[in-house]
Amino acid sequence: MKPQGTTGIAGRIVPGEARPFSPALMRAVRAVLRYYPVALIFVLWEICSRLGFLDPIFVPALSEVLKTLYEELFVTHELLVHMGFSFARAGIGFALAATVGITVGIFMGRFRPVENFVDPLISALFPTPKLAIFPLMMVFLGIGDASKIALIFLGCFFPIVISTYTGVKNVDKYFIWNARTKGANHRQVLWTVVFPAAMPFVFAGLRVATSTAFLLIVASELIAANEGLGYLIIYAQRTFNPTLMFSGVLMVACMGFIVDRLLLALGRWLFAWQDKNGF
Amino acid sequence: MEERADTPHIVISHVTKRYVTAQRGELLALRDVSFEAGRGEFISIVGPSGCGKSTLLYIVAGLLEASGGSVTVDGRPIDGPSPDRGVVLQNFSIFPWRRVADNVVYGPQMRGVPKAERRRLARKYLELVGLDDFADYYPRELSGGMKQRVAIAQMLACNPSTFLMDEPFGALDALTREVLQDQLLQLWERDRKTVLFVTHSIDEAVLLSDRVVIMGTKPGRVKQIVPINLPRPRQLAEIRAHPDFSTLRNFIWASIREESLEAA
Repeated sequence: MKPQGTTGIAGRIVPGEARPFSPALMRAVRAVLRYYPVALIFVLWEICSRLGFLDPIFVPALSEVLKTLYEELFVTHELLVHMGFSFARAGIGFALAATVGITVGIFMGRFRPVENFVDPLISALFPTPKLAIFPLMMVFLGIGDASKIALIFLGCFFPIVISTYTGVKNVDKYFIWNARTKGANHRQVLWTVVFPAAMPFVFAGLRVATSTAFLLIVASELIAANEGLGYLIIYAQRTFNPTLMFSGVLMVACMGFIVDRLLLALGRWLFAWQDKNGF
Repeated sequence: MEERADTPHIVISHVTKRYVTAQRGELLALRDVSFEAGRGEFISIVGPSGCGKSTLLYIVAGLLEASGGSVTVDGRPIDGPSPDRGVVLQNFSIFPWRRVADNVVYGPQMRGVPKAERRRLARKYLELVGLDDFADYYPRELSGGMKQRVAIAQMLACNPSTFLMDEPFGALDALTREVLQDQLLQLWERDRKTVLFVTHSIDEAVLLSDRVVIMGTKPGRVKQIVPINLPRPRQLAEIRAHPDFSTLRNFIWASIREESLEAA
């Protein structure tokens, strides 16, 4: 049964009125404590720079990097422009992959001929590093946005289609039977049983795909682009600007972290019905 | 038995079911199964595991197709599942992603009953199974007995003329089981629906039923049909104390045991 009100041990020991710090502050402290390993690396980095262990030509001090990051973000807005390009390409490729991947995955899971047709194709193409095909794509689609979006589409498509297919295949037969005895037709079974039951799998696939999208967008921009975070990083490297280069890297890491955390929170909210949810 | 209507409600005649398996070739799950259920009759199906009692129930439900023979309901051969033949499955097959109330009115929702009416139906059937306080819960927050009550309410909300129940209380502890048996009995006394009730508990079969169909195994078939002439309406405790109760139970038990020994 659901606990009504605060009955936990902590609730009894510290009554609401007697809390020495505001809940918001406590939350902030807890968040910092949770990510202290990250903070520790940052602090070590700064100390090593100050003590002269790190050559600023290769690794500039964290404080310098943050200063550049701030300027690029809020003064010149240069970084924002590059972020916009990267996000747009990755977003479009990801959205396309999600739409096509989920659709194909459902059809594979529900219809044997589709399964028989697509399955060997996936086995052949999934393990191929998508970056290996990138030069080929540039030949066909040019060095602009199209080839990068296509690359991201391909990279994201496979984890999404495979997880959707797995999810649909694993839907408990008895759920489907129960629905059919309650008068649900095939379309209703698909929408009210197969889809919700497979959703946790689909979502896990989407999460894997986001990391692939980040990897591929930066990699493809490193290879050939005139804007985007990958381009910024390679440009900074070629013009001997390590501070700018590190700003770019830090930005990519931050974006990845934020997107993953948002997805986790979304998963927890979407799958509140699950017994143990892994999100 | 005398009060049974002239036209039986469900007629199962010469039903066979063959499975073709990759390893063992053809498997005869049911051979020439025939019996009838009168309108408002409570029939239990018992037998050793592997006798095909669940298979038979799924065929009547329209979820599996018979390899031979026929099943008619009100004189019409069945054609796939129908909400008129309500089913409660042995494992908790209510939908974990739907809250309790939304689970209960799943059937009405599928046939397009508007939201306000669905809310009324949910309240009505949750009250009936004593779960009115749990409308907004997810199934994972409920105990096994509560989940199975939701499954029963879900079936009732389709207003079926027949209940097909596949070991509905099999996974429950003895105490919860008894409470639910009692509830089902009251429900049945009130509405007098036709019930096919698969169980592996002989006590349960005798307590609830008008007749008990004993099935044999290898291949699955009807071995014997035992009428239970215990007084109605029944109270579980009274029936247990009735002198005929243990006689019937021992008789059925011996019959199944004989069958299990042959099969083993």
